[in-house]
Amino acid sequence: MTATFGRFLILASVLVSTTGAFIAYAAGAKRSPEGLKWSQRFAYIFAGLMVLSTGVMEYALITHDFSVQYVAHVGSTQVPLWVTIVSLWSSLEGSILFWGFILGIYIAATTWVNRNQHQDYMPFAIGTWLSCGAFFSFLIAGPANPFLSVVPAPLDGPGPNPLLQNHLLMIIHPPMLYLGYVGMTIPFGFAAAALLRGRLGQSFLRPLRASLLLPWVFLTIAIMLGGWWAYEVLGWGGYWAWDPVENASLLPWLTATAALHSAIVMERRGVLKGWTVTLIQASFLLTILGTFMTRSGVFNSVHSFTQSAIGPTILIFLAAVLLFSVLLLAFRIDSLEAEGRIESAVSREGMFLVNNLFFVVFTFTVLVGTVFPLVVEAVKGKQMSVGRPYFDAMVVPVGTALLFLLGVGPALPWGKTNRKEMLRALLPPLITGAIALAIGYAFGVRNGWTLLTLLFGGYAAHVTFAQMWLPLRQRLKKGDAFAPALIDAQLRRGRRRFGGYVVHAGAVIVFVAIAVSSTMRTQQEVTLTRGQSTTFAGYTVTFTGTEERAEPHRQSTIAHFNIARNGKQVTTMEPRMNQYAAMREPIGTPAVYSTIGRDYYLSIMNLQGDQAGILIINMPMVGWIWGAVLLMGAGGLIALIPARKRTYVVVPKSAPTIDDEAIA
Amino acid sequence: MNRTVLIIGIIIVAVIVFVLFAGLGKDPQHIDSPLIGKPAPPFTLKAVNTGQTIDLESLRGKPVIVNFWATWCVPCYEEHPTLVANARQLPDVQFVGVVFNDTEDKINQFLAARGSAYPTLLDANGKTAIAYGVGGVPETYFINPSGIIVAKFEGPMDSEILRANLAKALR
Amino acid sequence: MIATFFLLALLQIKAPDAAQFVGQPKGIPLSGPRLEEQTMVISHELRCPVCQGLAIGDSPSIMAANMKAQVRELLERGYTEEQILSYFEKSYGQFVLLKPKFQGVNTLVWILPIAVLAIGFVLVVSKAKKLEVAPAPAAVEEPVDDPYLAQVREMVEKP
Repeated sequence: MTATFGRFLILASVLVSTTGAFIAYAAGAKRSPEGLKWSQRFAYIFAGLMVLSTGVMEYALITHDFSVQYVAHVGSTQVPLWVTIVSLWSSLEGSILFWGFILGIYIAATTWVNRNQHQDYMPFAIGTWLSCGAFFSFLIAGPANPFLSVVPAPLDGPGPNPLLQNHLLMIIHPPMLYLGYVGMTIPFGFAAAALLRGRLGQSFLRPLRASLLLPWVFLTIAIMLGGWWAYEVLGWGGYWAWDPVENASLLPWLTATAALHSAIVMERRGVLKGWTVTLIQASFLLTILGTFMTRSGVFNSVHSFTQSAIGPTILIFLAAVLLFSVLLLAFRIDSLEAEGRIESAVSREGMFLVNNLFFVVFTFTVLVGTVFPLVVEAVKGKQMSVGRPYFDAMVVPVGTALLFLLGVGPALPWGKTNRKEMLRALLPPLITGAIALAIGYAFGVRNGWTLLTLLFGGYAAHVTFAQMWLPLRQRLKKGDAFAPALIDAQLRRGRRRFGGYVVHAGAVIVFVAIAVSSTMRTQQEVTLTRGQSTTFAGYTVTFTGTEERAEPHRQSTIAHFNIARNGKQVTTMEPRMNQYAAMREPIGTPAVYSTIGRDYYLSIMNLQGDQAGILIINMPMVGWIWGAVLLMGAGGLIALIPARKRTYVVVPKSAPTIDDEAIA
Repeated sequence: MNRTVLIIGIIIVAVIVFVLFAGLGKDPQHIDSPLIGKPAPPFTLKAVNTGQTIDLESLRGKPVIVNFWATWCVPCYEEHPTLVANARQLPDVQFVGVVFNDTEDKINQFLAARGSAYPTLLDANGKTAIAYGVGGVPETYFINPSGIIVAKFEGPMDSEILRANLAKALR
Repeated sequence: MIATFFLLALLQIKAPDAAQFVGQPKGIPLSGPRLEEQTMVISHELRCPVCQGLAIGDSPSIMAANMKAQVRELLERGYTEEQILSYFEKSYGQFVLLKPKFQGVNTLVWILPIAVLAIGFVLVVSKAKKLEVAPAPAAVEEPVDDPYLAQVREMVEKP
């Protein structure tokens, strides 16, 4: 009964989205207000169907309805309730349904927010969104159908992948990732609308940018959560392995960040419209590529869902949207261009261009590295690997260059300046950079790239801080009182700017923390018998014993360790080895003791009788990475808060201009 | 129409689609062994069940099947009867088992319970396994009478697979 | 007599040796913290053959532990990094090398990103120059979709 109802809902959503897409494109072509209204209705109905089907699936999961195939596949009466709820996205079919769910909500929300504006663009945008919706509904209805019936219905199920039951981070990482990934569809629709309309007007820039910034915030946090989860759960003491699926999540983030930057130049000078649109399209296309990489079974990864018929289907869709995007660009990009100019290449505008260059190189490198083994195997039949040493070697210089730009770019004024002003802007932050470098050196940093990161980071921190508070300083100079100036200049008028610099502040910390935690990390492998201690990195570790714990879905051996400093006990740590009923080799869970300055990380290598072989890692500044990324997300959210409605007016040249600095 | 964008775009699309399409249908877990067609790395190890010392080079002249396994490997339990049965049926083929990261006691217990028809060698620290490029267990190598590895099979075999690979060693 | 017997006994058990694959050690035998350091470094350049893309230095699997022990032993005997990587490559194939060898078609993966950077730099400079000399934009008359905007426009443009 439930399965049938679910199947019906999905089929309905295929119909609704396909029909809606046709209607929307026709409405756009004919510029019909009536057509637009109908497109909006179809968008809402599609969203409703997706939400309903997801609700039905959750209901089936929670009530352990094993007659529904997906529930039979991942459900279990033996697992806790939160695991059951979360198993919606734990396996392939459910995760595609979840994709449709998020897509529906995004489409409905964006349609509703813009229901009375941008009537020129909205039909085309809705048409594009519903076309994507149609594809995903088709996937859910066909190759990835979670609502198939199982007859006779089994009495119980195997439960979701054990790795997903290991840690609470698994609750938020996938939804965050989907909110980021799926959200890229929205700006893609807007960009397609602009291209189809043959125009990208100033008033349309704001919704375009906002629709890109929101998923960007989610994706930023999602990538961090993924790294944090790998670090806390997988036991090898790292947070990023350049695994193909990790790379898949990073690629659209890189192009989206580049697009956010070129959009600023687009708004200020009216140039780079075609380029920004290309980047936005690329961000969406990379999410489809990413979903292909995760689900096709083509890539060897800790993340991969199992191989299935879904791979070729996604590939066909990817080819179709790639072609669509290329043709749209080829035919319409020239009608977007040539609306402005920049005054000087050596200026903040110029730095934005260089910023984009490095982001593109970064994206290209990660893409090439991930895909290269496939190419070689296809062309030469030989298997080879491109792993961490490659990515680290290539990405570190690019990242350092980006950090350099993060400092120098905002220091340079907009437009043409003379040499004296340029030096006045560029030289003072060097002092802060030198101080940061000296502090690092004093703490024992000797790695060349890390020292460079500290220099550039200190420089960038100075510039970011100075620019962040500039509006407030200008107001105080004019004689305004502190509190109202603070609220008005920073949070009311200068919100976008302030938010942007908060993101930059977080980014600087992330760069420095990654550099320091990777190069200043030390580790020790040691075997302890019960009662024995070892001292490493300032803490004394004593092995006090093991404990067996049996849970319905797994058998765990927990090793207890006392951690002491200067004779006084500081904490206990309990890394464990878990034997899941469903997996052959045991999976270890490390124990992490985090303090502000560093993480003390314990992982079990082997446990035999009274002997524990452990790996102890000391990693400075790791906690800063998670916090700083959250700061980046907060900055993005600040920038997203809508201002009072502004309209744009073309002012003749004779009119007095406002102080440029205070606006952006 | 912007021809540059069109050409560059079509090239990018074609490359991406071709690459990904080629990757479909391949199993990313399977690795081709570079040792096929090369001489089998020689070893001299002690057989825990018969007490003899087996030197691989002394087995030249007949086809040799080297099966890497361990008592902690679950699929190896399934494969073992196939190996024993075939060893008994094919006296002209030398079967050799190699176990690593295991103890003599456990191996002898296993063989006592499940039967043994050929020498099982102990490769204490896995060095032989490394030299043969063994990743997991069970993995089986088929060597022809001249000492060249002609085939490698990863995973538990049934009689059909065993005979099919053995045929390559008999050509 | 005893020596020969001893020698014979020693020769009895012999696993395949790296020497058969890569010859004699070409470097200095390592020990102590330097040995551990180098073992770590090389362990992160070799791929665990059964894991999902992990290095042997990061993998808890049994084969990875064996391989790591083998790396340490070879370093103790004085084999160089190049020789050790070559040894594993001969048994496992290029698949086991996490850093692609700069050889044959693999050179592309190293060169392409640098090529893109170089070409991109040229493009950026030429685009920036082009944008510098572009004519200033004429006041673009946009179709008005906002009644408020239309009103303001009227007020501004009235002489």
